[in-house]
Amino acid sequence: MDLFMQQLVNGVTLGSLYALIAVGYTVVYGIVQLINFAHGEVFMIGAFGALGTWSYLLGESTSIWVLPIMIIGAVAASTGTAVIMERFAYRPLRHAPRLAPLITAIGVSVFLQEAVRLFYPGAKSKLPFPQIDVVTGPAFKLGGVVIQRAALFTVIALVICALLLWLFVNRTKLGRGMLAVSQDPDTARLMGINVDRIIVVAFALGAILAGVAGVAQGLQNSNIDFRIGFLAGLKAFTAAVLGGIGNIEGAVVGGLVLGVVEALVTQYTQYLPFGLSAFGGSSWKDVWTFALLILVLVFRPQGLMGARVVDRA
Amino acid sequence: MTATAHAASAPARTDPKVVLEAKGVIMRFGGLVAVDDVDMVVREGEIVGLIGPNGAGKTTFFNCLTGMYKPTEGTVTFEGSVLPPKPRAVVKAGMARTFQNIRLFGNMTALENVMVGRYCRTSAMALTSIVRGPKFRHEEAATRQRAQELLDFVGLGRTTEHLARNLPYGDQRRLEIARALATDPKLLLLDEPTAGMNPKETQETMDLIFKIRDSGLAVVVIEHDMRFIFTLCDRVLCLVRGALLVEGSPATVQSDPRVIEAYIGTGPDAPAPTPTAERPAVSLSKEEQA
Amino acid sequence: MNTSTLPNGARGTTAVTVSRPSMQWYLTLAGVVLLIVGSLLSWCYDEGVLGNVSLNVNPGPIQVFMIVIAVLTLFFLLLRGGLFPVLDRLLDSARALRALGATATAFMVAVVIVIALQTSGLANADPGVFVALVGAALITWGSWSLASDPTVDPVSVHMRGWVDILVIVALLAIVLFGAAYALGQEDGTVFVLFLSVLGGVSLALARSGLFSWIRVIAQRHRQVLMLGAFAVAFLFPFTQNGSDANMSIATQVIIFATTALGLNIVVGLAGLLDLGYIAFLGAGAYVGATLSYSAFATIHWKPPFIVVMIIGACVSATLGLIIGTPTLRVSGDYLAIVTLAFGEIFRLAMFNLDGNNGPNLTRGPNGIPAIPDLEFFGFNFGDTHDIFGIPINRFGNYYFFLLVVAAIIILVFTRLNNSRIGRGWVAIREDEKAAEAMGVNTFGLKLFAFAGGAFLAGLAGTVKAHQDVSVTPDQYVFLESAFLLAAIVLGGMGTVAGVLIGATILKLLPEKLRFVSDYRLLIFGLLLVLIMRFRPEGLVASHRRQLEFHEEDTELAEHVEHAHLEATAGSEGTA
Repeated sequence: MDLFMQQLVNGVTLGSLYALIAVGYTVVYGIVQLINFAHGEVFMIGAFGALGTWSYLLGESTSIWVLPIMIIGAVAASTGTAVIMERFAYRPLRHAPRLAPLITAIGVSVFLQEAVRLFYPGAKSKLPFPQIDVVTGPAFKLGGVVIQRAALFTVIALVICALLLWLFVNRTKLGRGMLAVSQDPDTARLMGINVDRIIVVAFALGAILAGVAGVAQGLQNSNIDFRIGFLAGLKAFTAAVLGGIGNIEGAVVGGLVLGVVEALVTQYTQYLPFGLSAFGGSSWKDVWTFALLILVLVFRPQGLMGARVVDRA
Repeated sequence: MTATAHAASAPARTDPKVVLEAKGVIMRFGGLVAVDDVDMVVREGEIVGLIGPNGAGKTTFFNCLTGMYKPTEGTVTFEGSVLPPKPRAVVKAGMARTFQNIRLFGNMTALENVMVGRYCRTSAMALTSIVRGPKFRHEEAATRQRAQELLDFVGLGRTTEHLARNLPYGDQRRLEIARALATDPKLLLLDEPTAGMNPKETQETMDLIFKIRDSGLAVVVIEHDMRFIFTLCDRVLCLVRGALLVEGSPATVQSDPRVIEAYIGTGPDAPAPTPTAERPAVSLSKEEQA
Repeated sequence: MNTSTLPNGARGTTAVTVSRPSMQWYLTLAGVVLLIVGSLLSWCYDEGVLGNVSLNVNPGPIQVFMIVIAVLTLFFLLLRGGLFPVLDRLLDSARALRALGATATAFMVAVVIVIALQTSGLANADPGVFVALVGAALITWGSWSLASDPTVDPVSVHMRGWVDILVIVALLAIVLFGAAYALGQEDGTVFVLFLSVLGGVSLALARSGLFSWIRVIAQRHRQVLMLGAFAVAFLFPFTQNGSDANMSIATQVIIFATTALGLNIVVGLAGLLDLGYIAFLGAGAYVGATLSYSAFATIHWKPPFIVVMIIGACVSATLGLIIGTPTLRVSGDYLAIVTLAFGEIFRLAMFNLDGNNGPNLTRGPNGIPAIPDLEFFGFNFGDTHDIFGIPINRFGNYYFFLLVVAAIIILVFTRLNNSRIGRGWVAIREDEKAAEAMGVNTFGLKLFAFAGGAFLAGLAGTVKAHQDVSVTPDQYVFLESAFLLAAIVLGGMGTVAGVLIGATILKLLPEKLRFVSDYRLLIFGLLLVLIMRFRPEGLVASHRRQLEFHEEDTELAEHVEHAHLEATAGSEGTA
């Protein structure tokens, strides 16, 4: 039972990270029907932004008080990247055939990875991420279940971000504008909504959460490298689809479900009969995640919670 | 197949044989009944009109006939055999359609568009296409020739090499008809073939449809242009809110008060379930939704 | 842009008005003379700068480039002077002259700057460089105000058949020698300068309308062009004199191009974005490796290589079928992600099947090394053979073999494209629902596109295993799929020539530009973004794509449409 609870905790931790990134996919998709393939890189740049802030602005202090500034640094880096990317890579392609933005996204993704690898000092190999007081350190124990401090930070970050996002979308004029654009961009434009601005806001919102996720990832894994964006991005996209792409609540739920499923699959496939256990465990877990992604896309493309955009034909 | 084509319901009179028979077709989307128990019979060499206010379910009914939708209930029988709800099987059986909002292959030439229509009547597979034996070359030449003939037939013989997207609007509609004809249909379904056309183009389209009928095809036409429908059709069906309201000769339908009421919506108890029910009899609407 | 209000120039309404050479014309001519003279003189005292430009009358490579530009300029000048009236109707000489002048000037300025930087000041510069600079400037100045000839029409001008073929042969010869020359350059700076001159000259020729003329010719003599191109590719190893380095690049280019052609069926014709395509190449390679005579091969059955090829292709095609099945329900971006996930699953599976996690099939991250060279009837691909006294080394052997494979794949591609099946694919790409409603077997064709593309990639993969000597999972990562896609996008979707050019550029440049090798991927990413932004139809656009991406550009639409209306000149009437 403890083992199960432990995996559940691990899953929720992992899932919170996925959820934070997944929101970025879903918000942008909901507004412009674009799979922002480079969003994983935005997350990666968030992590590097935090690290850079810590190394060059904060004098490598590990006091808890530097954490908010690191988060601001991360968010600034990720948001800046996302906004520039939208402006110069995606906006000119607003009315191009669907293939064009996707290929651009791949290009942006490669470009950002390489830019970090080449121009961030020491980024050609793994870089240690600072261990900040309070949010890292000795784990809490609840019965037999171990809860890492960084895990707790991730979950709390998700809760706060999700709440703020919900308030933003439902309670502000800009947020309601976003809803309108996601329903019908042309009509929204006729109603006097600045669609370009809304799209920038969508990219920025996703990037803010991705920046926070970058910090969380660094704290959890205690090191980062320029490649973390690809896999995390793909899995977060899985989460977004799982929850129903375009649906913000769905992204959060999808992330958590994916995290938990992944943790449980990793744990329990080891006990499969007939020698199938060889295909279980951590080395195959990504395979199962991708298989899940394919199955969801094929059989339930609207996701668990229903997508905002269903008919893609 | 032609020998057994006399459907069971065919009357004993010397009427031409039945090509298409739809029986009790019902199409529900969730709670909405888009097509409500509609029967339709089309005989050889007949032009049947399908009218009704916007949202009456005409296009949905078309989609049911052509296998684009699987009807919730009811059957569609073509020349005596029940059609499966698969567009490809329907085309193969001999029923082709055009679309209300033109759906040509925009980046293919006019000729290529029509050649795609020949797809289901040709058989060259991958290996034959690669080897290019005499049979392949013969079939390819025949396809090309037939496509050219059809373009000539609809009056587009000189725009063979134009990209479909660059054709004028009226020509695009005619190209769609040529493409449908390329599938060698026995029955042609036209979804608002004159939408957006000026009177001259409308007249040309009418002539074209007569020409098609005279070549031995049955035609079903959805239209909003009443003058067009009543001069063109041998028989007219009026759908309202998914259900068949009136069926009969153009004259009967034209003078039926219920039809006028359905269009103008002035009846004392007209519930007007769809906001777009009020429509002038002659309209150039393009955006009818099922 | 051709609305200069100057009175000179041939802007008559009649087809050809041979105008008397104007002031500008002589000015440009003077520029040409100066440029040639300057390039024949020494540019710099220092022998170590820019190859060697320190000799009189014995020009270094860069000076040769300038002379080539000058000769081209002279050609267009004579054209403008009315020497070849037929050609004048095909080519807009003014635009070409302007582009040539700009190229020459930019180039000479760059040379002066390089000399100044590398020899600390202009003290070391010889008069020759300034003569050439003045010449280039004169060409630019003179040509700038020449009026364009808007009546250029490559379509309706028919030359004799042999002239067309001669043009094709000349073009291919230039390609061959250009490629051999470029590959022969060891000095990175000279290589870059060569490329930039090439770029400038290409721009000039494109502006003159030469390429649209060539496109028309190529359409008319498709088979001649294909045969000629094949001959050029065949002759290439004989220009290399047994050099390993370039032949190794060339074989890699061919494998890459071949795979990209397979992908082009899926992406370019059927319009299905496949981001996991490298898995098919990998599947072929792994089949080739596990069935090879390598001591590390995990399957101890050694069929002849031709059987291995077929098995590899079939395994690949089966995978293609599996990846294709979701197309029944999924399309567009979602399909792209599905294929991406399949590609990752393949890589991870190859990585994991090492005996510890599941059966030992691939030896996991170690891969299968020491795959021996192919041997057909005693002809060992590892040995060097002499043909006509020219040594053909190991890479040369593979090159010839791969050339045959590539030829087969090109044949398959073009013939499928030009048939009922190809039309079905394009119809699906254009409007799947309408295609289905017109009786096209959409699902079957999509499956066939996936399986067929995979089959071809598998075929190439089995050869690649032997050519590469070892097969490891990290050769088949997502980035490679992105590279393949980029080759197609860069070259031009749905075309053969485009994909070949795109693949060559993407493989060749990083190999030759060693000094930017660290920035290779950075440039690659940026390149993808820029192509999509500025030339989404690729370098060699099929006329369809060009229209698709420039919807609002009516001028271009009319131009392309016109170029396509080759046969139907002179038709008129009311619609």
